[in-house]
Amino acid sequence: MSVFAVREPATAAGSRLGALPADASGADLWRVLGAENRLAGVYRGDDPRRGVDPAALGALLTDLDRRFGVGSTLAVTVPLATCLPLLASGTGPAARTLADSLDGRTVVALAATDQDSGCDLAALDTRVSFDGDHLRLDGAKRWITNATTCGAALVLARHRPGPHFTNFTWVLVPADAPGVSARPAGTELFDGSGTGHLAFDGVRLTRDHVVGGTGRGLSGFAAHIATERLAGALWAVALCERVLRETAGHLKGRRHGDGVLWEREGIRQRWAGALLRSRQHRALTESLTEAVAVRRDTSSAALLKASAAETVEHVLDVCAHLQGAHGFRTGGPQQLRAQGALFGIGGGTTEVVLSIVAETAADGPAGELP
Amino acid sequence: MNQSFIDLLTPFLPNLGDRPLTEDSRLHDLGMNSMKAIDLLFAIEDGLGVSLPDEDLNDTTFATAGSLWAAVRRAGAAEEDHRAAA
Repeated sequence: MSVFAVREPATAAGSRLGALPADASGADLWRVLGAENRLAGVYRGDDPRRGVDPAALGALLTDLDRRFGVGSTLAVTVPLATCLPLLASGTGPAARTLADSLDGRTVVALAATDQDSGCDLAALDTRVSFDGDHLRLDGAKRWITNATTCGAALVLARHRPGPHFTNFTWVLVPADAPGVSARPAGTELFDGSGTGHLAFDGVRLTRDHVVGGTGRGLSGFAAHIATERLAGALWAVALCERVLRETAGHLKGRRHGDGVLWEREGIRQRWAGALLRSRQHRALTESLTEAVAVRRDTSSAALLKASAAETVEHVLDVCAHLQGAHGFRTGGPQQLRAQGALFGIGGGTTEVVLSIVAETAADGPAGELP
Repeated sequence: MNQSFIDLLTPFLPNLGDRPLTEDSRLHDLGMNSMKAIDLLFAIEDGLGVSLPDEDLNDTTFATAGSLWAAVRRAGAAEEDHRAAA
């Protein structure tokens, strides 16, 4: 069955989500989605340990994209795709936070990107040290979605020096723990996302705040970032198709000479070219969804992320141009172009994911390219 | 090393070529990088059904085919003991 086959129906009439204003924050969306039991519904059997149900995830992202801003949708996507499945590998505080998250009572931030090392996670400097039943965390994370709104953050830290993948560990850090501070990032592009920077200064917690086991930081990240990349690909499909529809509607209503702009072949062909790119990305997403969702195939996930970034950039560029001055309105395609650059940066730049594709494709047996 | 472990490990070693895999074979020299090592960990846990304990998650375990095999064997034995006790 197609991953897109069950994208409708969207939010039912009378739901609390439908009553939220278009500028509702991601934290508001999270609370309402949890209260309506729609967060658990994106996982197989309503259980984050079993992985996402891509069709349900795609339907939710399509719904959010249509109703709310990019920042707010982002604030729901990251914890759904990555934080909750990571929490599901833990016990104690992680299990309690997972339950609160699924009910919408708290939102968890994914704090992987370090102050200085960016997406080179093996070079990150945030440190966790152990002392009997306690741990201490020191470091800083930047450009973290939900940083200013979260009840807790999943922090990727190193417990040993060196780049080996076993030197890193996830720590669940309550936002109100002594030594934790958050400040908003200086941007207007992602309203509603709570994006900001986190600092950890001698944060002391009990050792049961380690999530997934000591040394499983990067492997846990690799396992679940693939799902986040799939979520990004599904969101990109929804975003591109929405903007293409809006652009066609605009062109059909915009007078030009004796008719409307839509009747000019050059404009129709340019729009159709963007539609082609959108459809190609949709088809690629459909073909690789199972590999990512079921087999956590990192190469397929990387390919999807690169495709999403390039498709969003192209489609928004064309649609922004075709809408002329109308495209500069608040929430219009010119603003979306700047926001859409996120698809090529957040969660791994296009260059990084293309390197993963090249690495894995070059080593794979003939006929088994992703 | 048993054959199923060798069969599982070999695809992650692009520089092995036609040489035989021995317990002294250094994984890094045979093309194992961080990304491959993570995928190998998934393959061990999914394919062989054993979960390496935290104390074996270090660069020494992933240094040679033999050191990794020893950790896999220990983990398998520990899980056997756990099942027997249950």
